[in-house]
Amino acid sequence: MNLNPMEQFAVKPLIAEPLFALGGHPIYFTNQALLMIIVVIASSLFLTLAVKPGALVPSRAQSMAELSYEFVGNMIHSATGEDGLRFFPFVFTIFMFVLCCNFFGMIPGSFTVTSQIAVTLALALLVILTVIVTGFVKHGLGFLRLFVPKAPFGLLLLLVPIEVISFFTRPLSLSVRLFANMLAGHTMLAVFGGFVVALGAAGGILSVLSLGPMLLIIAILLLELLVAFLQAYVFAILTCIYLNEALHLHDHH
Amino acid sequence: MAPDPGRLRDLGQRLDQLQARQAPKRPPPSQAGIAGRFATELVAALIVGGGLGWGIDWLLGRFVLRTFPVFMIVFVVLGAAAGILNVVRAAREINAQIAAAQARSDEENGS
Repeated sequence: MNLNPMEQFAVKPLIAEPLFALGGHPIYFTNQALLMIIVVIASSLFLTLAVKPGALVPSRAQSMAELSYEFVGNMIHSATGEDGLRFFPFVFTIFMFVLCCNFFGMIPGSFTVTSQIAVTLALALLVILTVIVTGFVKHGLGFLRLFVPKAPFGLLLLLVPIEVISFFTRPLSLSVRLFANMLAGHTMLAVFGGFVVALGAAGGILSVLSLGPMLLIIAILLLELLVAFLQAYVFAILTCIYLNEALHLHDHH
Repeated sequence: MAPDPGRLRDLGQRLDQLQARQAPKRPPPSQAGIAGRFATELVAALIVGGGLGWGIDWLLGRFVLRTFPVFMIVFVVLGAAAGILNVVRAAREINAQIAAAQARSDEENGS
């Protein structure tokens, strides 16, 4: 019986042989890669098959797909305005990927991809790269005005590096928020699960007490389902907010 | 049965009103959420500042002259300042969310 609560986050190669080598590092096919492939296939299949009938009165699956489409569409529209809708495919993909990773991670015995900072940081870097490219394409070098607040020249020497650091903090805080939430929630579940097993094995009156943590697990599980959705939402809306800044520079000041 | 255009327009308007009321708004975060947010903002800014300074030191040390750890120290301090700036911005944003949620609940109680 393994009661280590961190055991669930171990990245293990599923095939003993590395697939190929990249710059001298062997690349393995891991449980994390498998889960990501499952998530991508499952969400793509669901979204395409669910809207296939195109019924005027949607079935349950179709209305789920349409609701998520409209939800993200409204979110982008309210955060970035009309011209942000060009980024709908990008934001929708990120939202669905994070959401499905979080939900697949809730299945007992599976693996939570978003509890790995490597994954969340890669996603956040993708977002910030998109923001930078968009900013430069839209405004040219004028995008750099984002880093120049209204201040006398002497202060700018101090303020510009601070603004630059503040900008590059975003991918880190974005990824840490998602990863920390998933890590903390799943660790908590495993710890309480360990309590149930340990108390149950103790025998006598202690076995009855194991009902306590069991009920707590149910409560935490429900909370985790909420967190799984909320964190995907936060990730997506922050992507929109950053895109909005790149599109409209200092409009919000 | 052909739909009556007047009634359709009326229905459309009522739907728009309902949707405007239910438009997705960010719910105000919990106390623990706020605390976690501020902590990550501060620490992340320090790490990014230190990393940038270290990178500048590394570049200069490689191609010009060995400055380590001058820029790293300067940028850690700047990172602390950026962290405080981030927290102030986050606080302003959260205040706006709370105010919006307050206004919404007032409106619902009033009407």
